[in-house]
Amino acid sequence: MFIKFFYKLKEVGIPVSPTAFLTLQKALGKGLVVTLQDFYTASRAILVKSERYFDLYDQVFAHHFRGAEMPDVEGLELDELARAMLEAWLQKPEELSELLGIDESALNKMTPEELIEYFKQRLKDQDEQHHGGAKWIGTGGYSPVGHSGYHPGGMRVGGVSGSKSAVKVAMDRRYKDYSLHGPLTQAMIGEALKRLRNMVPVGPKDEVNIDETIYQTMKNGGEIEIIFDRRLKDRLKVILAIDNGGWSMDPYIPVVQTLFDYAADQFKDIKTYFFHNTIYSNLWADPARYKKPKRLDELVRLDPQTRFVIVGDASMAPYELMASDGSIHIEERSGLPSIECLNLLAKTFPHAVWLNPVPASMWGYTRTISAIREIFPMFELTIDGLEQAVMHMMAK
Amino acid sequence: MGDDNSAKQFAGATRYVLDQELAKIVNISMALEMPLLLKGEPGTGKTMLAHAIAENLKMPLIVLNVKSSMKLIDALYQYDTLTRLNDSRFGDSSRNVSNIEEYIKMGKIGQAFTAEQRTVLLIDEIDKADTDFQDDMLDVLDQMEFDIIEIDKTIAAKSRPVIIITSNAKKDLSDPFLGRCNFHHIAFPDADMMRRIIGVHFPDLDSELMERAISAFYQMRKLDAVEKKPATRELINWIRALKADPDFKPKQLAKGELPYLGVLFKKSQDYARAQHAVNGRRIN
Repeated sequence: MFIKFFYKLKEVGIPVSPTAFLTLQKALGKGLVVTLQDFYTASRAILVKSERYFDLYDQVFAHHFRGAEMPDVEGLELDELARAMLEAWLQKPEELSELLGIDESALNKMTPEELIEYFKQRLKDQDEQHHGGAKWIGTGGYSPVGHSGYHPGGMRVGGVSGSKSAVKVAMDRRYKDYSLHGPLTQAMIGEALKRLRNMVPVGPKDEVNIDETIYQTMKNGGEIEIIFDRRLKDRLKVILAIDNGGWSMDPYIPVVQTLFDYAADQFKDIKTYFFHNTIYSNLWADPARYKKPKRLDELVRLDPQTRFVIVGDASMAPYELMASDGSIHIEERSGLPSIECLNLLAKTFPHAVWLNPVPASMWGYTRTISAIREIFPMFELTIDGLEQAVMHMMAK
Repeated sequence: MGDDNSAKQFAGATRYVLDQELAKIVNISMALEMPLLLKGEPGTGKTMLAHAIAENLKMPLIVLNVKSSMKLIDALYQYDTLTRLNDSRFGDSSRNVSNIEEYIKMGKIGQAFTAEQRTVLLIDEIDKADTDFQDDMLDVLDQMEFDIIEIDKTIAAKSRPVIIITSNAKKDLSDPFLGRCNFHHIAFPDADMMRRIIGVHFPDLDSELMERAISAFYQMRKLDAVEKKPATRELINWIRALKADPDFKPKQLAKGELPYLGVLFKKSQDYARAQHAVNGRRIN
C-alpha cells in the first residue's frame, strides 16, 4: 500500500528509507491513521526528516492523491514566476498590466487560480529567455515581474484557514521557503562555522581530576589530596579579512560580514579587517579603509593559533601582487610586494584559509588566483567550501 | 509497555495552544514509541510542547538541557568518586564504601528510565552537542537500556518514556539520528493562531489592544536586518508591559507609538533599528 507514493518520494530526491516506510505501515496497522489528513501528517512526520523537503513532499502528495500536475523542472520555474507575477499584480496592478499590455479590469475579473494559469500561459508564449531585459519576464531584469519579485512567504490568496483538506494544505506549499535550493544564507554559514572550536582550559579550577587526585592521595599516604583542574572552554581566536574593494566582491560583503557577526557568540574573540584586492603593509579596521589601519607587524605578534580567514576574489592585475609598489592606493606603497606580505601572514598563522566567491572551476583562468593558491589553501565561498575550510582550519 | 499508557491521547493543555496537525504527530509518535524531533525558530513553543504533554497526560516531566561540553555518560549516570574517596578515608557516613552502587547517581535519562511512573523526557537543544553524542544517545533511547560500567549492571527502562527532542539548528542532524525519530517542523504561528495563543495567556484582554498589539508585532517582525526577531514570548511579555502601564491607550499603537520596544528587541543593534523604523513611520 502506498508503495508507488513511496517511490515517487524517492524519485524526486527526498531521502526516504525503507525502515521509515515500514514504520509508517506499522502506524497504519495500528489504526492510527483514519483520514487522508491523518495520512498526510503521519507519513510526513515519519518519512520526511527535514523541513527542506516539506515543500517537495507537499507537491508529491498533491500529485499522488489528487493528480495535481507534477511540476517538472521547467514547470517549477514557470510556477514560481507565475506566483511571483500574481504577487506583483496584487501589489501594483497598474504597473503589471501596463507591462504585459493587458487591461487591468480584465485581470480584475479573474480568480487567483485563473490568474496563475493566465500568467503561466503568457510565460510559455515567451519564445526565449530574457535575462536582464527591461520589459519582459526573466531573472534579474528591471521588470517587477520575475525572480526578484518572488516572495518566499508563499501565496495565501483568499485567506484559506480553518479545516482545510490535506490536499489543499499540500497545495498550499507552506514549506516553500525551506526548500533546498537557495543562496548561501547567514544561518547556513553560522551552522558550518559551529564546528570551529578550540577547547582550552580557562576559568577557575573547579573540575576534579580524579586520576591525579588518586595519585596524589596515594603519595600522601592515604591523606586525601583533591586536585582540581580548569574546565575546558572554547577560546578560539579568529581574524577575518574581507576584500571590500572591488565591485566583484560587493554582492558577498553583507553575507560574509553578518555571518561572522552572527558567529560572534560562537567565537569569543573575533576581529574583522578590510583590504582591497590584496594585502599590503596594512589591514583596515574600518570598512572605508581610511581611519583605522592595523599594521601587519602588529598582527604578526598575535597568537599563531589564531584562525586567519581571508575572503576575497583574489582577482587583480598581476603587478598589484608582484610589484614592490603594486598597490593602486598610493599611501599603501611600502616597498614590499604584496605577495611577500601574504607569505608572511601564511607563515605566521598556519591555520589560515582563503575563501573565494569565484567558482572553483574558474580559478585556473586568473593568474593571481593561482599565485595566491600557492600561498593559502583556497576554498569556494559555498556551504561545501566553507565546511572544507573549517575542516582544514581544525586540522592539527 | 502497558496498554493503559498508550491509550492516553494528547489533546492540549491549559497554557498551550495546540494545532491539530501537531497533536496528531505527538499521538502517532507515542503509539509508535518513537522519539519526536521538533525543529523551528525560537519562540514557536518547542519546549512548551513537552511541558504541555506532561501536564495533559499527568506524567512527570524530566528535562535534559544539552550543553556543548556534555558527554553522554553525564546524561545517564554519575559515579561520585569524590564522596566515596572521602567516605573511605573518614568512614563516618552511613553508606557502605565497598558497595559502589551507593555512589551511582542517575542522570536525567537514567532518572526517566528508573522512574516508577511513565515520564515525559524532554531533550532540549540537542544541536548544541556534537554528532557522536547525538548518535550514542539515540542508541540508548532505542535500546531503552544502558550499562553502568563501574558496577557491571544494566539499567533497563521500567516504562518507555515519551521522548521529545528539540533542535534550533537549520542544518540537519545525522542520518542515523533522523532515522530513529519522527520529525516535525513548527512554523511560526500566523496571526490567527497568535490570537488564540494570546487569548490563552490573557483571557480577559481588551480586544482592541489585542488586535493592535498583534498587528504591530507582525509589522515589527517584518523589519529586515534584525538579528533576533521577536517571538511569541516577547509578544506576551510586551502585552503584559502594556497592560501594566496605566497611561497606555491602545490607540497609541495605531498612531505608530510603540512603547517598551526593549521588551521586543533585546539586542542593542536590533533595538536601535526598531527605534529608527518606528520614528521614521511617525514622521511620515
